[in-house]
Amino acid sequence: MTIVWTNILFSMIAFGILYILLNKYAFSKLFGVMEKRRELVMQQMDEAAKTREQAVAYVEEQKQALQQARQEAQQIIQQSQVTSSNQADRLMEQAKAEADRLKNEAVRDIANEKNKAVEALRSELGTASVRIASKLLEKEVKADGEQEQLVDQYLKEVGGRS
Amino acid sequence: MHEMPLIYVGGIPIDLSAVLMLVVSCVIVFVLAMLAVRNLSVENPGKLQNFMEWVVEFVQGIISSAMDLKKGRPYISLGLTLILFIFVSNLLGLPFSVITEAEGPVTIFGHVIEATKHLVHGEHAEILWWKSPTADINITAGLAIIVFLLMNFLGIKNNGKHYFKHFVEPFPIFLPLNIIENLAKPVALAIRLFANIFAGEVLITVILKLGFVGIPFLGVWQGFSIFVGALQAYIFTILTMVYIAQYTIHEEEAH
Repeated sequence: MTIVWTNILFSMIAFGILYILLNKYAFSKLFGVMEKRRELVMQQMDEAAKTREQAVAYVEEQKQALQQARQEAQQIIQQSQVTSSNQADRLMEQAKAEADRLKNEAVRDIANEKNKAVEALRSELGTASVRIASKLLEKEVKADGEQEQLVDQYLKEVGGRS
Repeated sequence: MHEMPLIYVGGIPIDLSAVLMLVVSCVIVFVLAMLAVRNLSVENPGKLQNFMEWVVEFVQGIISSAMDLKKGRPYISLGLTLILFIFVSNLLGLPFSVITEAEGPVTIFGHVIEATKHLVHGEHAEILWWKSPTADINITAGLAIIVFLLMNFLGIKNNGKHYFKHFVEPFPIFLPLNIIENLAKPVALAIRLFANIFAGEVLITVILKLGFVGIPFLGVWQGFSIFVGALQAYIFTILTMVYIAQYTIHEEEAH
């Protein structure tokens, strides 16, 4: 172990040259690339975060859409139930009205027929009785209007009572 | 003991072994770095690039443990150069060493190697050519002086009057102590690195003298020496960063 001052100097010079060369040709490039890689990684991480957010938003959207669809389906079902029951009611009503109408008509027809029959019977009876009476009273009773009026009145009373 | 191949060129002493090993270390580190940055890629880094980036991150970790990484960013290159250079230097002496035996005066490039100059007949000198450059105190001293100059220069430049104030704190009477502390730092750096690596190489030489019995010990010790070499490179770098941080960063709460 001897101190040789030139060795000290040489080592300093060698180290200095090495430092300058490395700094100029190797490290600056390396640092640049490392910085770029760092940026790339950051960018990719950002992108991943963004994508995740988007996915979450999309899922949320889908959920809402599903919910909405479900609600709509529920609504449609309810609506159709209401409609069908309404229709049934209406049909029922219609049928009832029809039946009523038919019944009333029948009743009216029956009444008409009865009236007609009664009228026909009455006039038949009237003429028949007049004929009988005229046969009976042919001689003494002239077929004047006074007597026929009396008969009619009598017959009306009879018909009204029947 | 092994002698260094020292020659005088016009009165200036030149240790050929140190020059050789410095050049070899620098070339290896430079080639390694250039290979690592040859095919730089952002998306798909190669193995060597990955390794280099790992080293960079390691050095960043070292610096951020000593100071704020924002302030320490300019020192990343310094830390990288230090750690790579010292680590490669530490390992160079491990696989083999080159020693020549000289029986008489040996001349190289027309100059006589000092250790062989006064050899008389029957004597011989063993000249060590290939070794770890960091097993030479002169070279570790050179590195330590760089650190010393750098930390004081950066302290004055970045910290101004606080740098000088540090010397008279907590009391003016501490001035000599603080100066000694300042001077002791590079000395400790140089001697720690030198002693570790030198001792490693000495022990390898000793184990080699055991012959075949020493082979397992040699394997174990060489493995351990790799660990020591990495550890010393790490220590040198982290201490450099700690010293720079100590002198350049003025902490308000300390006053």
